[in-house]
Order: sequence, then structure tokens, then C-alpha cells
Amino acid sequence: MPADVTFHYYEGERGEFIQVIEERCIGCGQCAKFCTTGVWEKIDKIYKPIHLKKCAECGACWNVCDADAIIFGEPRGGTGVKFTHG
Amino acid sequence: MTTQLDYDVIVVGAGCAGPAAAKKCAELGLKTLLVEKSSEPGGKNVSGTCLNMAALGDTDLHYIMKCPIEREIHSMRTYQISDDRMTVFNEMPKSGILLLSIRRDEFDKWHTEQARKAGAEVRLGIAVVDIIEENDVVQGVVLESGEQLRSHVVIDGGGVNSIVGRKASLIPKRSGQNMILYLTAAVYLGEEVINERFRDEQGGYCIEYYLAPGIQHKTWPWIFPKKDTVTLGTGGYMTKDLINNEFPNVQQYMQNFMDLPIVKKKLAGGRVESWGLHLEFDGKIAQKTKSGLILTGEAGGFVIPFLGEGMPEAFFTGIYAAKTAAECIQKNDISQATLSEIYEEFIQENLFMQGFMYVGEENKKSILSKTDEEIVEIMQSVVMGGGFITNVVHTKWLRGVENDSLEDIEDAQTFLEFIQPYRQVSTDYLEIYREMRAQAKLEEISTKGDEI
Repeated sequence: MPADVTFHYYEGERGEFIQVIEERCIGCGQCAKFCTTGVWEKIDKIYKPIHLKKCAECGACWNVCDADAIIFGEPRGGTGVKFTHG
Repeated sequence: MTTQLDYDVIVVGAGCAGPAAAKKCAELGLKTLLVEKSSEPGGKNVSGTCLNMAALGDTDLHYIMKCPIEREIHSMRTYQISDDRMTVFNEMPKSGILLLSIRRDEFDKWHTEQARKAGAEVRLGIAVVDIIEENDVVQGVVLESGEQLRSHVVIDGGGVNSIVGRKASLIPKRSGQNMILYLTAAVYLGEEVINERFRDEQGGYCIEYYLAPGIQHKTWPWIFPKKDTVTLGTGGYMTKDLINNEFPNVQQYMQNFMDLPIVKKKLAGGRVESWGLHLEFDGKIAQKTKSGLILTGEAGGFVIPFLGEGMPEAFFTGIYAAKTAAECIQKNDISQATLSEIYEEFIQENLFMQGFMYVGEENKKSILSKTDEEIVEIMQSVVMGGGFITNVVHTKWLRGVENDSLEDIEDAQTFLEFIQPYRQVSTDYLEIYREMRAQAKLEEISTKGDEI
């Protein structure tokens, strides 16, 4: 059985619920390292949540960011990842 | 000037702690709002899938036994696998039910409904984005719509990364040896297949733990049988070596777990229905209250990932937060000092929580300093010695003998006596359980009658 992890999502626009404060990012890449779903990408010298649609809202990126460069909020209007059978 | 209050209590989050808190608040006559960010309760929750019967035996939690249950679990099996052998340990009480397996999407819906029936107002699909704080007192919450809601007390049941706790500066950033990152997979096998593959020797059903190289990072991968699916989980502590060249992500641990020959056999013919991803905090939150605010469940650090314990702690702290809020509102004193004093007293009196927190801490101490190979060795003695509780007693006792410390030995003795009730599945729980199931059935029939 392949562990090709994919998630279900509620319908609707989630909004930019994860943002980077660009002047604070030091490009260390911890966010990308601990991200299970590949949300983060290095653009020039800093990391950005380019693939936010793949986010499962675990919050690992926010927790490991020593530079305090990540704003980790909530998807809008009850949208975002949807877990079932848990 | 006094500002008009919208509610006595606003409870944030419809996970395990939130509905327990909201239900109790409503029962105590408080005007209560329960607000949940997801469109459905349980939509954001993956963890906590087996309820511990020893905890449900507490009078405060008897009602939980009426919840939608997937399976009654009677025993625990551990597979310890190395290159050259596989050792299987069974831990089986003579009688009784050890755990109840549930589905969080179903359970949280049911629990939220209990809060609503008790009189709490429930709002779904709207996130709390901030708190209202004036003069160091939490006065209410701000919703994503910009709407501001005020209350005497806010109870935070928003989980591990709760916005309320973060905005109140009570929840810090955490990683390393205090945070576990793990993946879950729900695999559909069908009821009949699970009946066959997860049955124990006495005809009951068992949960399974696995220990093998490359399937985890200092944690215990598991398989929990539900009705027609089983849930697999693995991951590890977020130290820098959780992710490396060999393990570029936690999927790799899961893949290795699924590829164990014994697990392959267990999952044969199955398909993954749903994946889950979660962080779990394995440490203490220094301050769990602020004037006008109480943290509960995972938000308050009331979870023992090492033992897979968290749901009962969330129910208990939710209920205690509600009782604390009611008492403080009555006294017209919602100061941090008073909230904290009353809340901590409830927690200190709960023997289940005290016992399990102690077991979790002691075991974690003996695990985190070791290499994976050493852990497997420890696990062997842990499992052979009858589990984590015994490990605590043994290590304390041995430390006492080694260091010639009577204090450690006495400590071990005292703890052993203290924890005895939780080593057995008392038949008292079973009687209560049967009564609760019968009540649940009656309530179901009467609800259907109302609909007709």
C-alpha cells in the first residue's frame, strides 16, 4: 500500500491563512523541512507558502520558525482540511 | 461604564474539551456559546481514537459511554520486530473492556449535540481570530467576520495550536523533544475482515502497537480497529533528526510501517479512505489561566502522547473549567489568581490525571535519552514487565537500589499502591457501561419517535 498522502478539503476559498513576514525570514528552511505536504518553496532567498492549497494545517512550520516570520491563522468560513474516520 | 455581555462563557473549539465544557456550563445555568472553526465538529480532528474505560469510570464522564462507539476493545498486542525475529506480546485483562474505539468525526458531532441539548448555543464554520483583552483581562473573542463577542470567561478548547492561547501569550512555539508530528491513515477493510484479523485469543478485539527499525522516531506506531476501518499512526518527536536523507518526510516512516510483512498481511485488500496529520505537544504549558481565560485539553497541554492519552484529560479539564467559570462568575471574581486556584484544585483531585501524567513523564525521561536500538531493548522489558506503569515502578525502584536511596524506593512503592485501581478493569465500570448503553438506546428510540 503506497503512503501517497493526500487530504480532503471543504469546498470554498480558504484565504491566505499562512503568510510570511518577508523581512523577518532568514531563509533557514526549517518550515519546508518539517512540512509534510510540500507547501513551502524557496523563492530568491526566502521561503514562501506557494502551495498553500496542499496545507493540512498542522502548524509545524509556525512552531519551528525561530525567526518568527510566519503568521499562522485559520482558513476562512469553515473551509480547509477535512479529516474523516479519525 | 459596563459593557453589555453577550454570554457568560464563550467556549472555543468543538473537539474533546470544548463540548464537555459547553455542556457543563449550560447545565450550570450559564449563557454559553460554543464556537467551532470547522463546518462540522470533528472535521479538523484526527487524534484520540480510543477512549480509556478507566477514565470513563469517573462519574463526570459516565455520559461519554453513550457516544457512538465503533468497537469495544478488550486487549493490547505489541509486535516487536527485528531483522531476525518477531516477538508478540499480549496484554489481556481477564475480563472487561479496556477501551472503546470511536471515530472523531462522529464522536465530536455527537458530543457537540449534547452541549446543544444542554442549552449551549453552537456556531459552526466560523473561526475565532483574536481575543479582546483590556487591562490584562480577557473580555471575549473576535470572530473572522470581525464580530466581537464579550463574556465573563473564555474557555479555550482550540487544540494544540489554539489561536486563543497564542494571542493570550500562553501557548509558545514548540518543537524538538516536546512536539510530536504524526500521520494517520484510515484503511477500509470491512467489518468481517477486521473481526478476523484483530481478534484476540479470548474472542475480543485488540489494538496493536509495533516496534521495528525505521517505522517511527521514538514513538509507538499503532493500528486501532474501528468498525469497518482501521487507523494506522506513526511519526515522531520533532528533533532535527526526525527528517533526514533517509527519512525526507514522515510519509517514509508510514511507508516503512505499511511495508512490514505482518502489517502488509493485516492490510491486504484494503484501501486508504482518509489521511490525517497532527502535532501533539508533550510537555507542560506553564500558565493555563489568565484573568477571564482558561485553557483546556491540548491547548492547556493536558495530553500525554507517550501513552496515547488525551481525550479523557480534555473532557476532565473542559468540565473543570466550566465548574471553575461558574464559581468565579458567581463570586464576581474572574482574576487569574482565583481562576487558577479553583481550576488547579479540581485537577489535583483527579487521580486518573495525576497518575497518568506521572507515568507519561517518567517513561518519557527513560526514552528520550536513548538511541532507537536501546529503546527497543527497553520496550522489550517494558512490555514483558507488564507495561508502562510497571516500567515506572521498576526504574524508580532500581534507581533507588543503585543509588542507595530509600526515598526513590518508597516513591516507587507509594506510586504502585496509588496506581493499582487503574491496572485493572473493574467490573463496576462494566455495570455502568451497560446501563449507559441501554439509556443511549432508549434516547435514540425516543428521538426517532419525535421525528415521526
